[in-house]
Amino acid sequence: MATISLNRVTKSYGDIQVIPPMDLEIEDGEFVVLVGPSGCGKSTTLRMIAGLETVSTGALSIGDREVTTLRPGLRNCAMVFQSYALYPHMSVRDNIGYGMKVRGVPKADAAAAIENAARILNLTDYLDRKPAALSGGQRQRVAIGRAIVRDPDVFLFDEPLSNLDAKLRVEMRVEIKQLHRRLKTTMVYVTHDQVEAMTMADRVVVLRDGVVEQAADPITLYEKPANAFVAEFIGAPSMNMLEGHIAQRGDGLCFTGPQGLEFDIPAARVAALAPLAGQACLLGIRPEHTNEAEGGIGVAVDVDDIEPLGPHTLVVGHVGSRKFTGQARADTATRPGSRVTIQFDPDKLHFFRASDGAAVR
Amino acid sequence: MSVRDLKGKRGWLAFAGCFAWFAFTLFPLYWVAITSFKTPPDVVGGPTYLPFIDFQPSLNAWRDLFSGVRGEFYSNFWSSAIVAVSSAVFATLLGTMAAYALVRFPFRVRLVSGLVFFAVAMGGFLLGRDVLDFPPATASIIAFCVALALSVLVNRFNLPGKVMNNDDIVFWFVSQRLFPPIVVAFALFLLYSEMGKMGLKMTDTYGGLTLAYIAFSLPIVVWLMRDFIAALPLEVEEAALVDNVPQWRIFFGIVLPMARPGLIATFVITLAFTWNEFLFALFLTNSEWQTLPVLIAGQNSQRGDEWWAISAAALVAIIPMIVIAGLLGRLMRSGLLSGAVK
Repeated sequence: MATISLNRVTKSYGDIQVIPPMDLEIEDGEFVVLVGPSGCGKSTTLRMIAGLETVSTGALSIGDREVTTLRPGLRNCAMVFQSYALYPHMSVRDNIGYGMKVRGVPKADAAAAIENAARILNLTDYLDRKPAALSGGQRQRVAIGRAIVRDPDVFLFDEPLSNLDAKLRVEMRVEIKQLHRRLKTTMVYVTHDQVEAMTMADRVVVLRDGVVEQAADPITLYEKPANAFVAEFIGAPSMNMLEGHIAQRGDGLCFTGPQGLEFDIPAARVAALAPLAGQACLLGIRPEHTNEAEGGIGVAVDVDDIEPLGPHTLVVGHVGSRKFTGQARADTATRPGSRVTIQFDPDKLHFFRASDGAAVR
Repeated sequence: MSVRDLKGKRGWLAFAGCFAWFAFTLFPLYWVAITSFKTPPDVVGGPTYLPFIDFQPSLNAWRDLFSGVRGEFYSNFWSSAIVAVSSAVFATLLGTMAAYALVRFPFRVRLVSGLVFFAVAMGGFLLGRDVLDFPPATASIIAFCVALALSVLVNRFNLPGKVMNNDDIVFWFVSQRLFPPIVVAFALFLLYSEMGKMGLKMTDTYGGLTLAYIAFSLPIVVWLMRDFIAALPLEVEEAALVDNVPQWRIFFGIVLPMARPGLIATFVITLAFTWNEFLFALFLTNSEWQTLPVLIAGQNSQRGDEWWAISAAALVAIIPMIVIAGLLGRLMRSGLLSGAVK
């Protein structure tokens, strides 16, 4: 059980700084997911916490211990790797128990810990097998078992589910969440999959180029993204962005966009958006807040493809040069090549300053 | 596509070609084998090929061999076996450690510190021998130790000039096999006899020959094992690091077992070298620790062209390697890493 604290931590390879000074506080028992596109520094951050990468400058502490230069083995972290990283020549039992054997844990205690971990993870029947005789999901469970018996201060997961197929990934997601509820240990989890991030985390940290774009609980991220990057990254399919302009009109504001899109901004939001008057801005519309219909406030979309999902169908197209995804009824007659009007809910819109992408609300 | 897919005439052609090559490579071995069972008249009286048909096989050559008429055969066999196996084991182990270090840890060696080593070692030796009147061996040992200490110290300072990295170190290792072994053999003989004068007998000892073999095998071992170890998944070692497994246990408990196929292949290659080595054994041993290749080569000059006897001795030298390659070949199978990652 421990907090993790990154204080102005940076990482450079030679002259290239991949993590600019980063501050991050992780609460005791919190499940924090680091998410971002590949190359955003999320794995590097995790590996710095584990001690597998050195910290270039700044300070890192776990609990009340400063661990910036401590070697990995002494940080009392347990890590689960994307590639499982099992010892191929050892049975499942020995894989889970190897760390305890090295630390000189009494045999009876070690055996009990292995049995317990195997029971939690449904591995009891496989204890004598070698990793090669296990499926991907079982292998990853062995890796998690190896982490559990460590009884660590912090669990670190580096994209643990990326090598599993979709169905298994959903199952393992639930298992890891249950594990967190049961153990109540601080967990830091790295993924590039925003669905994993949203479903598992107490708090999601969105990273881009080593910079924390926003750190918040999943619903806040979804409803109140701090900027256009977070808004587009969180949510599937991603948020549509249309370039436009906000202008004063009488007492209110009006938005002018591409394809003749023009509408009055709801009165409730006029005060908040007043600073944007006379400026270029980005209008963000989530596909799930749209539907294919005439009338109301809508935008003309040139349809490139339709994606039937069952409950509804996605209309994938573009508005000018911007991609646009809208939602339609399952029985829509729209076909690729046509132009349709996609209507949206003016109360669920997001506005971002065009200059820096910051959200205005 | 494989040869098995070939049909009709082309299949037969491929088979005939392969068989011809097989016969060509195997014939010398067959010739040695049957010659060892021939009597002297059968050997000198023109070629005969088939036992019981061309000639009547006899065990005379083998009886001679094991009865000790032809030198201390048993003693040479055991010298060969002990020196070859132990030097191959040590060379593989040491070389694997070096290869592991060269794969996993970055080293930086300044060219300046290499030059310092060379200058101090050479200059110190000359100074000690010619000015201070030390015996040559004493002078070279002192100069070597001082040069090593100095160059390590120099490497710590941020001096200008080229900085060499792991690849350069590996090339330096391999470069030691680029010059002819006879150059080393002479130098080693001189060094060993000087050490003998200091009271440390090295010529014709187990230690002397084994050390020479280890030193001469290391470059190949480092070169081969570097690739095998570089192919091992790093995450497995990282997992152990996070689990607080000490570095030496990671090496012996995790890296060595994972590198087993490579270790065995390297061991067999090294053993083939140390078992068959002739030149060093000729220079550095004479009676106590003389090895089989030296004994076999000497047969011709000692007793004349007694090919039946030489054949029997040669077979004894060949068979152990065939057995070892057969036994260890099974352990070299790949697929050992499956299950570690992905």
